[in-house]
Amino acid sequence: MVVRANPHLIDELEKYGAQDVVKCYHCGNCSATCPFSGGAYLFPRKSMRYLQMGLESRLRGTLEPWLCYYCGECSDQCPRQAEPGETMMSMRRWLTSRYDFTGISSLFYRSWRAGLLAIVIVGLLTGLGLVWFGLARGSLSVYDGEGAFLPAEAIHRFDWAMAAVLVLLLGINCARMWWFTIGSDHGLRVPPLEYLRQLPRLPLHFLTQKRYRECDRKRPWAIHLALMLSYLSMLILIMFFLPQVQQGPEINWAVHGLGYAAALGLIATTVYALRGRRVRSETHYRHSHETDWIFLILLLLVAATGVAQHVLHRAGLPVAANLLYVVHMMGVVPMLVLEVPFSKWSHMAYRPLAMYLSAVRDRALAAAAGQIAATGQGAATGQTAATGQIAASRPSPTAQGAAS
Amino acid sequence: MSEDCRIGVYICNCGTNIAKVVNAEWVSAQVSGLPNVVCAHAYKYMCSNPGQELITRDIREQRLDRVVVAASSPRMHEPTFRKALEAAGLNPYLLEMANIREQCSWVHDDPRAASAKAADLTHAAIRRVRHHKPLEKREANYTPATLVLGGGIAGLTAAVELAEANQQVFLVERETRLGGNVGRADLTAPYLDSARDILTEKISRAKDSPRIEILTGTELVDLQGFVGNFRATVKSAAGDERELPVGAVLVCTGYQEFDATRIERLGYGRYPDVITSFELEKRLAEGRLETDDGRVPRYVSIVHCVGSRNPRYHPYCSRVCCMTALKYGHEIKSALPAATVTDIYVDMLSFGKGGEDLYRRTSELKTMFLMYEKGDPPRVRPAERGDDCGLLVQVNERLSGEIIDVPADLVVLMVGMEARSDSDEVARITGISRDPQGWFIESHPKLAPVSTATEGVYIAGCCQSPKDIPDSVAQARAAAAMVLAHVARGRIEIDARFAEVDDDLCSGCRMCNELCPYTAISFDAERRRSSVESALCKACGTCVAACPSGALSARHFTDDQIFDQIEGVLAWSSNR
Repeated sequence: MVVRANPHLIDELEKYGAQDVVKCYHCGNCSATCPFSGGAYLFPRKSMRYLQMGLESRLRGTLEPWLCYYCGECSDQCPRQAEPGETMMSMRRWLTSRYDFTGISSLFYRSWRAGLLAIVIVGLLTGLGLVWFGLARGSLSVYDGEGAFLPAEAIHRFDWAMAAVLVLLLGINCARMWWFTIGSDHGLRVPPLEYLRQLPRLPLHFLTQKRYRECDRKRPWAIHLALMLSYLSMLILIMFFLPQVQQGPEINWAVHGLGYAAALGLIATTVYALRGRRVRSETHYRHSHETDWIFLILLLLVAATGVAQHVLHRAGLPVAANLLYVVHMMGVVPMLVLEVPFSKWSHMAYRPLAMYLSAVRDRALAAAAGQIAATGQGAATGQTAATGQIAASRPSPTAQGAAS
Repeated sequence: MSEDCRIGVYICNCGTNIAKVVNAEWVSAQVSGLPNVVCAHAYKYMCSNPGQELITRDIREQRLDRVVVAASSPRMHEPTFRKALEAAGLNPYLLEMANIREQCSWVHDDPRAASAKAADLTHAAIRRVRHHKPLEKREANYTPATLVLGGGIAGLTAAVELAEANQQVFLVERETRLGGNVGRADLTAPYLDSARDILTEKISRAKDSPRIEILTGTELVDLQGFVGNFRATVKSAAGDERELPVGAVLVCTGYQEFDATRIERLGYGRYPDVITSFELEKRLAEGRLETDDGRVPRYVSIVHCVGSRNPRYHPYCSRVCCMTALKYGHEIKSALPAATVTDIYVDMLSFGKGGEDLYRRTSELKTMFLMYEKGDPPRVRPAERGDDCGLLVQVNERLSGEIIDVPADLVVLMVGMEARSDSDEVARITGISRDPQGWFIESHPKLAPVSTATEGVYIAGCCQSPKDIPDSVAQARAAAAMVLAHVARGRIEIDARFAEVDDDLCSGCRMCNELCPYTAISFDAERRRSSVESALCKACGTCVAACPSGALSARHFTDDQIFDQIEGVLAWSSNR
């Protein structure tokens, strides 16, 4: 099948942070140095090629950018400073915008001003809403219990309602990701059981980021895991134990202990990452898209205000605590509403999903190859088997076969 | 044959080059008892000073009058040993060499058989040398004027160079204007200098020089004589003929471009927006970078290797197209910043100074580079309804394994260089050989790149093979230096070895006239005899072998010499 080249795709990707893709002349050093590249997934070179050629449909269907954790080896080894690592990063941003069906993601990535404006607007609306809600029901001088300004139960319900919407949005995006990479590949027949069999990979990769650890450089993995686990701990505390977390003035170590650790982890890792990006201390911090800054600053702000309102409450300053709580929520809500389905936060879902889908895909291809080898079928399907390796690295090779 | 000649035989070990397979001492012992052999020695390095002294001492002390050296190829050290003979007061032509290195030790590994063969070769040389006669080199005057054929960058450079050295130059150009193919280019790669600037300087210097006579609209129709003493006949467009006495001829006739209609799938000649690189140069120089119907192109595709590196057309690389295409990237982008440039290439050959840098800079301009398989050029077809371009170029892209369609408004074909269609005519007149692709052949690809088989005739620039401006200029200046070396000497030496016609035997059949590769034999119509111009003759022996009357003989390569040499090779074979 003939694919149309789009010379303008590279310009488009620049808005997502791609910088020096054009310099690549395909020596393959990047793929040779990458500990993950090999077999069916020859990245970053192959994705660099798709991007240079503007093969949008191929790029949309590839899982490869999600299999890269950006250790930076490839960029350091590149003889032409074509920044393959950063290109993979920009492709993840672009893919995020493709998975998102609303177009909001694309808007935010291409215009950070629009993203920031949206954050400010949602933040202000949240603030106004909470102040109105708090004043209508309670008193600014009461933090918890009877007549509280922002009662834990109400916030809890609000959190769950918001979570439901976000999970729905993210779920649709994840479904689209499956469709682009596997579902629309009509030639690829996935044995249904494989979807079940590979399922344990989802939590495994989500919780351990096992693959990231396999990069030669361990520090980025450690920092990233600490950030992610802190975030996750905080999320669990808020989603399931908010009343206990909010209740004072005594310190309930069972929940607060974990909370302190998580807050400390969040602040330490975001400060580390922000500093790293500012001084470009490591390869993966050398280039920063505006959305990277927005995400980190927002996270730090939310963590800091969360800690501050807690301290103020315990210090017996309920008015200040309540006001800061509002400020805290003015950060939390836009961060979650805008980042979870539409921006950087979504990679929390896409990465483990990519590990899972690539495993499913590999099994399907292996099964197809095995079946053909066993039955020795004719040329049409035999081709797919023979090119199994190549086919696997392409988004939809078998679909091409069927169409042509 | 000299029956009582006294021969000295010297067998060289050439360090271990010969000694590792051939037993020189044994060979020496084998030949020492042969008739006329006065002494035989094996020595480590015959070409060294002590080795040469060994010969000169023996000549004096043993009164030798013939010398055989069994060593490397005579191409290496024949002049060395001839000098040794001369130093000892012997005529240098009384030397014979047996090649026991290239033709023996280097190609054999059985020491017994190789030593036997070395002895046979030496024996043959001993038999042959007995027939050698003292020969004398001759000299002739050198006419300092030079004919430069071709007014392109190479010819202009050589002409200006020679004129700077106060020598008379006739610059003959077939076209009505000077400048050649460089005159058809806009900018040059990799520094993007104007081609016109480079040329104008040369042309005005040539025109201003009182030493250079420019003959445009003129061509060479005949060349007679030999080095230092040529008579060139040139003919103007009006039909006027003129004979120019010159000492040397510099052939700088350049190239012509490949005819792109030969590769049908590229659509040249079928779609008006498929143009050649020369047509693009013209548009760029005119500042009119647009499609056939006057639109501004949004997509420009550049196809490399059109006619080059393809066994169906030309197997060689045309050397300038990659750099020129990269240059187009810059020119197009600076004229039309919004345009997209695609380079569809086989391999990017950005060699030489500044080449890689230009490649990198062009990449940074977001040029899309697509690689196609040699022998599978892209296909051009009209765009489909709804496309935002005029043409589509289908490429089987090697780096991705994908077959893709690339949008194009203008397709530029980097047509390769090929030998001019009249190169056979020029070659015939000037006595230059051509390779299978029609390019003129140099004497030695590395050590004599501008000389030809005909002494006094030099080649420079693209008539020898595709090359860029710096290489053409370097060759032109090299050829000028060769000419000036002759001019400085004032006289030329003529080799003592040449063919001679025995007038009594010659029947005037003229068979030799056509066969001579150096056009050294002419026919005297009055006497009805052929005669050899000894200064042109290289003693190759073609005419000698061909002459049905046996009227031709070559000095130093007489029948007696050859037959006795053959007998020498075979003398011992029946005993082994």
